[in-house]
Amino acid sequence: MRPALFVTPAKRGAAHLLMYLAIVAVALPGCATRPPASDPDALADYQQTDDPLEPTNRVFYAINNGLDTVILRPAALAYRYAVPAPVRDGLHNVLSNIGTPVKLTNDILEGKPRRAGDTTMRFLINTTAGVLGIFDVATKLGYPDHDADFGMTMALWGVPEGPFLFLPVLGPTDPRDAAGFGLDVAIDPFTWIGTGPNHPGWSAFTYSRYGLTAVDARERVLDATDSIKKTALDPYATFRSLYRQHRHAQIETLRNDNRATVPVWFPQPAAAPAK
Amino acid sequence: MINRRHFLILAAASVAAPLAAHAQATEKAAAFVKSTGDRLIAVVNGPGSAAAKRAGMTQVIDTDVDVEGIGRFCLGRFWRQASPDQQKRYLDLFHQVLVTNITSKLGEYQGVTFTMGRSKEQDDQAVISTTVSRPNNAPTAVDWVISNPSSNPKIVDVLAEGTSLRLTQRQDYASYLVHNNNNIDALIAAMKTQTEQGK
Repeated sequence: MRPALFVTPAKRGAAHLLMYLAIVAVALPGCATRPPASDPDALADYQQTDDPLEPTNRVFYAINNGLDTVILRPAALAYRYAVPAPVRDGLHNVLSNIGTPVKLTNDILEGKPRRAGDTTMRFLINTTAGVLGIFDVATKLGYPDHDADFGMTMALWGVPEGPFLFLPVLGPTDPRDAAGFGLDVAIDPFTWIGTGPNHPGWSAFTYSRYGLTAVDARERVLDATDSIKKTALDPYATFRSLYRQHRHAQIETLRNDNRATVPVWFPQPAAAPAK
Repeated sequence: MINRRHFLILAAASVAAPLAAHAQATEKAAAFVKSTGDRLIAVVNGPGSAAAKRAGMTQVIDTDVDVEGIGRFCLGRFWRQASPDQQKRYLDLFHQVLVTNITSKLGEYQGVTFTMGRSKEQDDQAVISTTVSRPNNAPTAVDWVISNPSSNPKIVDVLAEGTSLRLTQRQDYASYLVHNNNNIDALIAAMKTQTEQGK
Protein backbone atom coordinates (compact mmCIF):
# COMPACT_ATOMS: atom_id res chain seq x y z
CA MET A 1 0.00 0.00 0.00
CA ARG A 2 2.81 2.40 0.85
CA PRO A 3 4.49 2.55 -2.57
CA ALA A 4 1.15 2.50 -4.41
CA LEU A 5 0.45 5.98 -3.11
CA PHE A 6 3.37 7.37 -5.03
CA VAL A 7 3.10 5.55 -8.33
CA THR A 8 1.11 8.53 -9.62
CA PRO A 9 3.25 11.17 -11.33
CA ALA A 10 4.35 13.77 -8.84
CA LYS A 11 2.68 16.76 -10.50
CA ARG A 12 -0.89 16.06 -9.58
CA GLY A 13 0.08 13.77 -6.72
CA ALA A 14 -1.30 16.08 -4.06
CA ALA A 15 -4.70 16.31 -5.73
CA HIS A 16 -4.84 12.54 -6.18
CA LEU A 17 -3.84 12.05 -2.58
CA LEU A 18 -6.60 14.32 -1.32
CA MET A 19 -9.13 12.49 -3.46
CA TYR A 20 -7.81 9.17 -2.21
CA LEU A 21 -8.10 10.36 1.39
CA ALA A 22 -11.67 11.53 0.77
CA ILE A 23 -12.61 8.12 -0.60
CA VAL A 24 -10.92 6.37 2.29
CA ALA A 25 -12.65 8.65 4.79
CA VAL A 26 -16.06 7.79 3.36
CA ALA A 27 -15.42 4.07 3.08
CA LEU A 28 -13.91 3.76 6.53
CA PRO A 29 -14.75 0.94 8.91
CA GLY A 30 -16.51 3.29 11.34
CA CYS A 31 -16.42 3.12 15.10
CA ALA A 32 -14.71 1.01 17.75
CA THR A 33 -16.96 -1.47 19.52
CA ARG A 34 -17.90 -0.38 22.99
CA PRO A 35 -17.47 -3.20 25.52
CA PRO A 36 -20.69 -4.36 27.24
CA ALA A 37 -21.57 -3.02 30.71
CA SER A 38 -21.09 -6.55 32.08
CA ASP A 39 -17.33 -6.14 31.71
CA PRO A 40 -16.63 -3.02 33.85
CA ASP A 41 -12.82 -3.29 33.60
CA ALA A 42 -12.88 -3.37 29.82
CA LEU A 43 -15.41 -0.54 29.79
CA ALA A 44 -13.21 1.56 32.09
CA ASP A 45 -10.24 0.98 29.79
CA TYR A 46 -12.35 1.91 26.77
CA GLN A 47 -13.51 5.13 28.41
CA GLN A 48 -10.01 6.02 29.56
CA THR A 49 -8.60 5.45 26.08
CA ASP A 50 -11.40 7.66 24.68
CA ASP A 51 -10.73 6.68 21.09
CA PRO A 52 -14.19 5.87 19.64
CA LEU A 53 -12.91 6.47 16.09
CA GLU A 54 -10.01 4.05 16.53
CA PRO A 55 -10.52 2.05 13.30
CA THR A 56 -10.61 5.27 11.25
CA ASN A 57 -7.68 6.71 13.17
CA ARG A 58 -5.63 3.59 12.51
CA VAL A 59 -6.18 3.92 8.77
CA PHE A 60 -4.87 7.48 8.87
CA TYR A 61 -2.02 6.35 11.09
CA ALA A 62 -1.06 3.80 8.42
CA ILE A 63 -1.29 6.43 5.67
CA ASN A 64 0.76 8.95 7.64
CA ASN A 65 3.26 6.29 8.48
CA GLY A 66 3.60 5.50 4.78
CA LEU A 67 4.03 9.17 3.88
CA ASP A 68 6.55 9.53 6.66
CA THR A 69 8.54 6.50 5.54
CA VAL A 70 8.88 7.72 1.94
CA ILE A 71 9.00 11.51 2.39
CA LEU A 72 9.45 13.08 5.78
CA ARG A 73 11.77 10.63 7.50
CA PRO A 74 14.24 10.45 4.58
CA ALA A 75 14.10 14.26 4.34
CA ALA A 76 14.86 14.55 8.05
CA LEU A 77 17.71 12.03 7.75
CA ALA A 78 19.16 13.91 4.78
CA TYR A 79 18.81 17.18 6.68
CA ARG A 80 20.65 15.72 9.65
CA TYR A 81 23.35 14.28 7.37
CA ALA A 82 23.88 17.40 5.25
CA VAL A 83 23.47 20.19 7.78
CA PRO A 84 25.78 20.36 10.82
CA ALA A 85 24.15 20.50 14.25
CA PRO A 86 24.97 24.17 15.06
CA VAL A 87 23.39 25.29 11.76
CA ARG A 88 20.31 23.15 12.48
CA ASP A 89 20.01 24.72 15.92
CA GLY A 90 20.32 28.19 14.35
CA LEU A 91 17.56 27.41 11.85
CA HIS A 92 15.38 26.01 14.61
CA ASN A 93 15.88 29.22 16.59
CA VAL A 94 15.01 31.38 13.56
CA LEU A 95 11.80 29.39 12.98
CA SER A 96 10.92 29.71 16.64
CA ASN A 97 11.54 33.48 16.50
CA ILE A 98 9.28 33.81 13.46
CA GLY A 99 6.57 32.12 15.54
CA THR A 100 6.60 34.98 18.07
CA PRO A 101 3.32 36.66 17.00
CA VAL A 102 1.33 33.44 17.46
CA LYS A 103 3.02 32.60 20.74
CA LEU A 104 2.60 36.09 22.17
CA THR A 105 -1.08 36.20 21.18
CA ASN A 106 -1.67 32.89 22.94
CA ASP A 107 0.29 33.99 26.04
CA ILE A 108 -1.99 37.03 26.28
CA LEU A 109 -5.18 35.06 25.62
CA GLU A 110 -4.10 32.64 28.34
CA GLY A 111 -3.84 35.58 30.75
CA LYS A 112 -0.22 34.77 31.59
CA PRO A 113 1.59 38.14 31.70
CA ARG A 114 4.96 36.68 32.71
CA ARG A 115 4.87 34.30 29.76
CA ALA A 116 3.93 37.15 27.43
CA GLY A 117 6.84 39.11 28.92
CA ASP A 118 9.24 36.20 28.35
CA THR A 119 8.08 35.91 24.73
CA THR A 120 8.48 39.65 24.13
CA MET A 121 11.95 39.78 25.71
CA ARG A 122 12.99 36.69 23.78
CA PHE A 123 11.93 38.32 20.52
CA LEU A 124 13.68 41.63 21.28
CA ILE A 125 16.91 40.01 22.49
CA ASN A 126 17.15 37.22 19.95
CA THR A 127 16.26 39.40 16.96
CA THR A 128 19.02 41.90 17.85
CA ALA A 129 21.77 40.30 19.95
CA GLY A 130 20.84 36.89 18.53
CA VAL A 131 21.24 38.10 14.91
CA LEU A 132 17.70 37.72 13.52
CA GLY A 133 16.97 34.88 15.86
CA ILE A 134 19.84 32.57 14.95
CA PHE A 135 21.28 32.49 18.47
CA ASP A 136 19.13 31.93 21.52
CA VAL A 137 20.77 34.54 23.74
CA ALA A 138 17.59 35.17 25.72
CA THR A 139 17.58 31.75 27.44
CA LYS A 140 21.03 32.48 28.86
CA LEU A 141 19.76 35.86 30.10
CA GLY A 142 16.92 34.25 32.04
CA TYR A 143 14.08 34.29 29.50
CA PRO A 144 13.54 30.60 28.75
CA ASP A 145 11.29 29.33 25.98
CA HIS A 146 7.89 27.80 26.70
CA ASP A 147 5.09 26.18 24.72
CA ALA A 148 1.99 28.12 23.70
CA ASP A 149 -0.63 27.30 21.10
CA PHE A 150 -4.35 27.76 20.70
CA GLY A 151 -5.10 24.20 21.82
CA MET A 152 -3.43 24.95 25.17
CA THR A 153 -5.20 28.33 25.36
CA MET A 154 -8.58 26.70 24.86
CA ALA A 155 -7.69 24.02 27.42
CA LEU A 156 -7.07 26.79 29.94
CA TRP A 157 -10.43 28.32 29.03
CA GLY A 158 -12.06 25.00 29.93
CA VAL A 159 -12.63 23.54 26.46
CA PRO A 160 -12.47 19.72 26.77
CA GLU A 161 -10.05 17.87 24.51
CA GLY A 162 -12.63 15.47 23.14
CA PRO A 163 -11.90 12.04 21.67
CA PHE A 164 -8.52 11.14 20.23
CA LEU A 165 -8.03 11.85 16.52
CA PHE A 166 -5.31 10.84 14.11
CA LEU A 167 -5.48 13.15 11.12
CA PRO A 168 -3.71 12.91 7.76
CA VAL A 169 -0.52 15.02 7.73
CA LEU A 170 -1.34 16.60 11.12
CA GLY A 171 -0.91 13.35 13.03
CA PRO A 172 -2.08 12.67 16.61
CA THR A 173 -4.49 15.31 17.88
CA ASP A 174 -8.01 15.83 19.23
CA PRO A 175 -10.86 18.13 18.12
CA ARG A 176 -9.71 20.93 20.42
CA ASP A 177 -6.07 20.83 19.35
CA ALA A 178 -6.94 20.43 15.67
CA ALA A 179 -9.16 23.53 15.88
CA GLY A 180 -6.35 25.23 17.79
CA PHE A 181 -3.92 24.44 14.99
CA GLY A 182 -6.27 26.07 12.47
CA LEU A 183 -6.66 29.13 14.69
CA ASP A 184 -2.87 29.39 15.10
CA VAL A 185 -2.49 29.46 11.32
CA ALA A 186 -5.29 32.05 11.11
CA ILE A 187 -3.80 34.42 13.71
CA ASP A 188 -0.31 34.16 12.20
CA PRO A 189 0.38 37.43 10.31
CA PHE A 190 2.75 35.56 7.97
CA THR A 191 -0.24 33.57 6.71
CA TRP A 192 -1.73 36.78 5.32
CA ILE A 193 1.29 38.84 4.29
CA GLY A 194 2.04 39.02 0.57
CA THR A 195 -0.32 36.29 -0.61
CA GLY A 196 -1.10 36.11 -4.30
CA PRO A 197 0.89 35.89 -7.53
CA ASN A 198 2.39 39.39 -7.21
CA HIS A 199 4.58 38.46 -4.28
CA PRO A 200 6.75 35.51 -5.33
CA GLY A 201 9.25 36.39 -2.61
CA TRP A 202 6.73 36.10 0.18
CA SER A 203 5.26 32.90 -1.24
CA ALA A 204 8.74 31.39 -1.38
CA PHE A 205 9.30 32.47 2.21
CA THR A 206 6.01 30.98 3.39
CA TYR A 207 6.55 27.63 1.67
CA SER A 208 10.19 27.39 2.77
CA ARG A 209 9.08 28.11 6.29
CA TYR A 210 6.41 25.38 6.26
CA GLY A 211 8.82 22.89 4.70
CA LEU A 212 11.67 23.69 7.06
CA THR A 213 9.37 23.58 10.08
CA ALA A 214 8.22 20.08 9.15
CA VAL A 215 11.73 18.79 8.48
CA ASP A 216 13.15 20.45 11.60
CA ALA A 217 10.39 19.05 13.82
CA ARG A 218 10.81 15.58 12.30
CA GLU A 219 14.61 15.63 12.68
CA ARG A 220 14.27 16.45 16.37
CA VAL A 221 12.18 13.34 17.05
CA LEU A 222 14.02 10.93 14.72
CA ASP A 223 15.63 8.91 17.49
CA ALA A 224 12.55 8.96 19.71
CA THR A 225 10.15 7.72 17.00
CA ASP A 226 12.60 5.10 15.77
CA SER A 227 12.97 3.82 19.31
CA ILE A 228 9.19 3.73 19.88
CA LYS A 229 8.57 1.84 16.66
CA LYS A 230 11.24 -0.64 17.69
CA THR A 231 10.12 -1.18 21.29
CA ALA A 232 6.32 -0.78 21.23
CA LEU A 233 4.07 -3.76 20.60
CA ASP A 234 1.37 -1.40 19.32
CA PRO A 235 3.06 1.83 18.14
CA TYR A 236 -0.31 3.48 17.41
CA ALA A 237 -1.45 3.00 21.01
CA THR A 238 1.93 4.15 22.29
CA PHE A 239 1.87 7.36 20.23
CA ARG A 240 -1.71 7.95 21.38
CA SER A 241 -0.72 7.58 25.01
CA LEU A 242 2.39 9.75 24.64
CA TYR A 243 0.53 12.50 22.77
CA ARG A 244 -2.15 12.73 25.44
CA GLN A 245 0.28 12.63 28.36
CA HIS A 246 2.53 15.23 26.75
CA ARG A 247 -0.38 17.58 26.13
CA HIS A 248 -1.66 17.15 29.70
CA ALA A 249 1.82 17.90 31.04
CA GLN A 250 2.15 21.02 28.83
CA ILE A 251 -1.25 22.29 29.98
CA GLU A 252 -0.48 21.51 33.62
CA THR A 253 2.80 23.46 33.40
CA LEU A 254 0.91 26.35 31.81
CA ARG A 255 -1.79 26.27 34.49
CA ASN A 256 0.76 26.27 37.31
CA ASP A 257 2.84 29.11 35.88
CA ASN A 258 1.52 31.84 38.15
CA ARG A 259 4.66 33.90 38.64
CA ALA A 260 4.12 37.31 40.20
CA THR A 261 4.14 40.30 37.87
CA VAL A 262 6.02 42.63 40.24
CA PRO A 263 9.13 43.96 38.46
CA VAL A 264 12.52 42.90 39.80
CA TRP A 265 13.47 46.44 40.89
CA PHE A 266 10.24 46.89 42.87
CA PRO A 267 10.19 45.88 46.58
CA GLN A 268 9.25 42.21 46.42
CA PRO A 269 6.20 40.82 48.25
CA ALA A 270 6.87 38.49 51.20
CA ALA A 271 6.98 35.21 49.31
CA ALA A 272 7.88 35.75 45.69
CA PRO A 273 7.13 32.39 44.05
CA ALA A 274 9.51 33.09 41.20
CA LYS A 275 9.97 29.88 39.30
CA MET B 1 -1.49 27.65 81.92
CA ILE B 2 1.06 24.88 82.05
CA ASN B 3 -1.45 22.48 80.68
CA ARG B 4 -2.25 24.78 77.87
CA ARG B 5 1.43 25.29 77.05
CA HIS B 6 1.97 21.54 77.10
CA PHE B 7 -0.97 21.16 74.84
CA LEU B 8 0.42 23.71 72.43
CA ILE B 9 3.82 22.05 72.40
CA LEU B 10 2.22 18.67 71.89
CA ALA B 11 0.05 20.02 69.13
CA ALA B 12 3.02 21.67 67.48
CA ALA B 13 5.07 18.51 67.85
CA SER B 14 2.32 16.33 66.42
CA VAL B 15 2.17 18.58 63.38
CA ALA B 16 5.92 19.00 63.06
CA ALA B 17 6.92 15.38 63.59
CA PRO B 18 5.25 13.96 60.47
CA LEU B 19 6.45 16.97 58.50
CA ALA B 20 9.99 16.26 59.61
CA ALA B 21 9.52 12.60 58.74
CA HIS B 22 8.24 13.58 55.30
CA ALA B 23 11.17 15.91 54.74
CA GLN B 24 13.52 13.12 55.78
CA ALA B 25 11.82 10.66 53.45
CA THR B 26 12.11 12.97 50.42
CA GLU B 27 15.72 13.74 51.34
CA LYS B 28 16.47 10.03 51.43
CA ALA B 29 14.68 9.56 48.13
CA ALA B 30 16.67 12.39 46.57
CA ALA B 31 19.93 10.86 47.78
CA PHE B 32 18.78 7.52 46.36
CA VAL B 33 18.01 9.05 42.96
CA LYS B 34 21.38 10.82 43.00
CA SER B 35 23.24 7.55 43.62
CA THR B 36 21.17 5.62 41.05
CA GLY B 37 21.62 8.41 38.51
CA ASP B 38 25.38 8.48 39.10
CA ARG B 39 25.58 4.72 38.58
CA LEU B 40 23.47 4.88 35.41
CA ILE B 41 25.57 7.72 34.01
CA ALA B 42 28.73 5.79 34.80
CA VAL B 43 27.41 2.84 32.77
CA VAL B 44 26.12 5.01 29.89
CA ASN B 45 29.21 7.19 29.57
CA GLY B 46 31.54 4.28 30.34
CA PRO B 47 33.91 2.80 27.78
CA GLY B 48 32.52 -0.77 27.88
CA SER B 49 31.13 -2.79 24.97
CA ALA B 50 27.38 -3.03 24.33
CA ALA B 51 27.20 -6.32 26.24
CA ALA B 52 29.11 -4.89 29.19
CA LYS B 53 26.80 -1.87 29.25
CA ARG B 54 23.78 -4.14 29.21
CA ALA B 55 25.20 -6.12 32.14
CA GLY B 56 25.89 -2.91 34.05
CA MET B 57 22.40 -1.64 33.32
CA THR B 58 20.85 -4.94 34.45
CA GLN B 59 22.70 -4.62 37.75
CA VAL B 60 21.40 -1.10 38.40
CA ILE B 61 17.86 -2.09 37.42
CA ASP B 62 17.87 -5.19 39.63
CA THR B 63 18.94 -3.30 42.74
CA ASP B 64 17.14 0.03 42.30
CA VAL B 65 14.00 -0.60 40.24
CA ASP B 66 10.80 -2.29 41.44
CA VAL B 67 10.58 -4.43 38.31
CA GLU B 68 7.80 -6.68 39.64
CA GLY B 69 5.66 -3.74 40.77
CA ILE B 70 6.03 -1.99 37.42
CA GLY B 71 5.36 -5.27 35.59
CA ARG B 72 2.10 -5.80 37.47
CA PHE B 73 1.08 -2.20 36.84
CA CYS B 74 1.76 -2.55 33.12
CA LEU B 75 -0.42 -5.62 32.79
CA GLY B 76 -3.27 -3.71 34.49
CA ARG B 77 -6.56 -5.56 34.73
CA PHE B 78 -5.08 -8.55 32.92
CA TRP B 79 -2.78 -9.34 35.87
CA ARG B 80 -5.69 -10.83 37.83
CA GLN B 81 -6.86 -12.82 34.80
CA ALA B 82 -3.43 -14.36 34.26
CA SER B 83 -2.62 -17.77 35.69
CA PRO B 84 0.32 -17.99 38.15
CA ASP B 85 2.37 -19.60 35.39
CA GLN B 86 1.53 -16.80 32.94
CA GLN B 87 2.35 -14.22 35.61
CA LYS B 88 5.76 -15.79 36.14
CA ARG B 89 6.60 -16.04 32.44
CA TYR B 90 5.35 -12.49 31.90
CA LEU B 91 7.47 -11.04 34.71
CA ASP B 92 10.61 -12.84 33.51
CA LEU B 93 10.13 -11.40 30.03
CA PHE B 94 9.13 -8.01 31.37
CA HIS B 95 12.43 -7.80 33.19
CA GLN B 96 14.31 -8.46 29.95
CA VAL B 97 12.14 -6.04 27.96
CA LEU B 98 12.79 -3.33 30.52
CA VAL B 99 16.54 -3.86 30.37
CA THR B 100 16.50 -3.91 26.55
CA ASN B 101 14.34 -0.79 26.27
CA ILE B 102 16.33 1.22 28.78
CA THR B 103 19.64 0.11 27.31
CA SER B 104 18.54 0.94 23.76
CA LYS B 105 17.24 4.35 24.89
CA LEU B 106 20.37 5.29 26.81
CA GLY B 107 22.91 3.12 25.09
CA GLU B 108 23.72 5.40 22.17
CA TYR B 109 24.22 8.47 24.28
CA GLN B 110 27.55 9.81 25.34
CA GLY B 111 28.32 12.74 27.60
CA VAL B 112 25.05 12.54 29.54
CA THR B 113 24.84 14.69 32.68
CA PHE B 114 22.04 15.35 35.12
CA THR B 115 21.27 17.91 37.79
CA MET B 116 19.02 17.40 40.80
CA GLY B 117 15.88 19.52 41.13
CA ARG B 118 13.16 19.81 43.72
CA SER B 119 11.57 16.85 45.47
CA LYS B 120 8.09 16.38 46.84
CA GLU B 121 5.97 13.85 48.69
CA GLN B 122 2.95 12.38 46.91
CA ASP B 123 0.76 9.60 48.41
CA ASP B 124 3.52 7.73 50.29
CA GLN B 125 5.81 8.13 47.31
CA ALA B 126 8.52 10.67 46.65
CA VAL B 127 8.82 12.44 43.30
CA ILE B 128 12.34 13.67 42.58
CA SER B 129 12.84 16.05 39.66
CA THR B 130 16.04 16.04 37.66
CA THR B 131 17.20 17.67 34.44
CA VAL B 132 19.04 15.41 32.02
CA SER B 133 21.33 17.04 29.47
CA ARG B 134 22.91 15.54 26.39
CA PRO B 135 25.25 17.26 23.96
CA ASN B 136 23.35 18.90 21.04
CA ASN B 137 20.00 18.33 22.71
CA ALA B 138 17.64 20.50 24.69
CA PRO B 139 17.69 19.54 28.38
CA THR B 140 14.92 17.10 29.35
CA ALA B 141 12.92 17.25 32.57
CA VAL B 142 12.92 13.77 34.12
CA ASP B 143 10.96 12.99 37.31
CA TRP B 144 11.62 9.83 39.31
CA VAL B 145 8.83 8.28 41.38
CA ILE B 146 10.21 6.46 44.43
CA SER B 147 8.19 4.03 46.57
CA ASN B 148 8.88 3.48 50.31
CA PRO B 149 11.28 6.43 50.30
CA SER B 150 12.38 6.03 53.94
CA SER B 151 12.61 2.25 54.37
CA ASN B 152 13.28 0.52 51.05
CA PRO B 153 13.49 3.03 48.18
CA LYS B 154 12.80 1.67 44.69
CA ILE B 155 12.09 3.39 41.39
CA VAL B 156 8.48 2.71 40.36
CA ASP B 157 8.14 5.17 37.50
CA VAL B 158 10.09 7.64 35.39
CA LEU B 159 8.38 10.66 33.84
CA ALA B 160 10.14 12.18 30.86
CA GLU B 161 8.71 15.63 30.10
CA GLY B 162 5.56 14.61 31.92
CA THR B 163 5.07 11.30 30.09
CA SER B 164 5.02 8.29 32.38
CA LEU B 165 7.05 5.34 31.19
CA ARG B 166 4.94 2.76 32.98
CA LEU B 167 1.61 4.29 31.93
CA THR B 168 2.71 4.37 28.28
CA GLN B 169 3.81 0.74 28.53
CA ARG B 170 0.53 -0.25 30.20
CA GLN B 171 -1.52 1.36 27.43
CA ASP B 172 0.66 -0.29 24.81
CA TYR B 173 0.07 -3.73 26.35
CA ALA B 174 -3.64 -3.06 26.94
CA SER B 175 -4.14 -2.12 23.29
CA TYR B 176 -2.16 -5.13 22.11
CA LEU B 177 -4.26 -7.44 24.29
CA VAL B 178 -7.59 -5.92 23.20
CA HIS B 179 -6.58 -6.46 19.56
CA ASN B 180 -5.54 -10.06 20.29
CA ASN B 181 -8.72 -11.33 21.98
CA ASN B 182 -7.37 -10.51 25.47
CA ASN B 183 -5.03 -13.47 25.06
CA ILE B 184 -2.20 -13.11 27.58
CA ASP B 185 -0.20 -15.88 25.89
CA ALA B 186 -0.20 -13.80 22.69
CA LEU B 187 1.29 -10.89 24.62
CA ILE B 188 3.92 -13.15 26.16
CA ALA B 189 4.79 -14.51 22.71
CA ALA B 190 5.13 -10.98 21.31
CA MET B 191 7.36 -9.97 24.21
CA LYS B 192 9.49 -13.03 23.62
CA THR B 193 9.97 -12.15 19.94
CA GLN B 194 10.81 -8.61 20.99
CA THR B 195 13.53 -9.63 23.47
CA GLU B 196 15.02 -12.01 20.94
CA GLN B 197 15.22 -9.23 18.35
CA GLY B 198 16.59 -6.79 20.88
CA LYS B 199 19.63 -8.88 21.71
